[in-house]
Amino acid sequence: MQLIRNWWGRYSLQLILVGLGLGAAWTLKQTQAEVLVETYRMIAQPFQAEYSSRQILENAQVLELQYRITEIEQQNQNLRKLLNVKSLGTPEGIWSGVIGRSSDAWWQQLVINRGTNQGIKKGAIALASGGLAGRVTNVFSNSSRILLLSDPTAQVGVMISRTRNMGIMRGQEQNLGVLTFFERDPSVKPGDIVVTSPHSGLFPPGIPVGRVRSINLNRQPAPEAIIEFSVPLGQLEYVKILPFDPPE
Amino acid sequence: MRHDNILGLVGALLSLLVCILALPLRLPGMTLMDIAPNWLLIWLVTWSLNRPVLIAIATGIALGLLQDGMTITDSQALIPTHTIGLAIAAGLTALLQKQRYIQEDFISVALIVFGMAVLVETIIAIQLSLFGWSLDQVWMLHQRIALTSAILSSLWSPALHFPMSRFWRWLDK
Repeated sequence: MQLIRNWWGRYSLQLILVGLGLGAAWTLKQTQAEVLVETYRMIAQPFQAEYSSRQILENAQVLELQYRITEIEQQNQNLRKLLNVKSLGTPEGIWSGVIGRSSDAWWQQLVINRGTNQGIKKGAIALASGGLAGRVTNVFSNSSRILLLSDPTAQVGVMISRTRNMGIMRGQEQNLGVLTFFERDPSVKPGDIVVTSPHSGLFPPGIPVGRVRSINLNRQPAPEAIIEFSVPLGQLEYVKILPFDPPE
Repeated sequence: MRHDNILGLVGALLSLLVCILALPLRLPGMTLMDIAPNWLLIWLVTWSLNRPVLIAIATGIALGLLQDGMTITDSQALIPTHTIGLAIAAGLTALLQKQRYIQEDFISVALIVFGMAVLVETIIAIQLSLFGWSLDQVWMLHQRIALTSAILSSLWSPALHFPMSRFWRWLDK
């Protein structure tokens, strides 16, 4: 008994501190570290840097327009065949600034300075000049976290806009993604434009994603293509958040 | 509890907060191939150098939980946790100092940080492999991430270790 009392007397403070520390860390983890992200936003607010990457952004805008035109032409042809297709309106988005990038080398995420107070909901999609950038995965009161297309866990249902071949695209941590086709023998060639697929549950259809850079048809179990994103994901300063309710 | 103990704890917590808030920050010139120094790991090594092994491990677990909270989006089911890697790194660092293998100076702290960064990223890569990610993809990424993160973190480690060790030594006096 005396032994235990001595031991407790010596180590109680350390034990309590360790317990407190672990408890606090666990609580923060359960709340998705909201306090930390919000604090970061508060501190980062006055230091919104303005660095120039105008050229790249302008090029990306031109590319986006080209992609859009191809997509619209394709849709037009399909419409002539079908005659009855529901038209999609373009809702107003919320512009927000990028205030931080992910805190771990393995994941590709952004922190933006808009949250539930500004009307952002989980599942909204993030657009930037060039097309699709990612989607909102966590929302806090004045900030939210966006999962970028280049994140290895981000999977997007996409479609080759020229031939309507579909597949799933995964991020590669760079400005490139890997598209795995559903068909054995897709008709696709380098330079083809890739848009989100109408079957995608997470994104609205027809948003430009990127362009096919190279194709590997011999890849097992399904053919693959390397996609170049149309958005310069490494240099995002602003993103436009469009509300989107994934159909469950 | 003595006053300088409380002061030491407050200083440690404040510096930890600064490190956590520095994680999402991408300052121009501080990144290499879009990877920033792992400030949390640098702080952990600095902290663990002169602590009992168990306390170091508990700190590692706590920091792992924090980093998990800041990166895991809850929509995914299987995501590797940082707790394992950081706990092992902290325990090893504390053991190294106990065995007096190395002295506490800039170079050896930078070396420890280098080794621990590789260890932490390797443990994440092992978890990813176990979760069924394609092996070639994981280990290609691992090479790039582990080396870049290790080089950057070890080069930036004196920036944190120097003021912190001075602060703790000043408290001891």
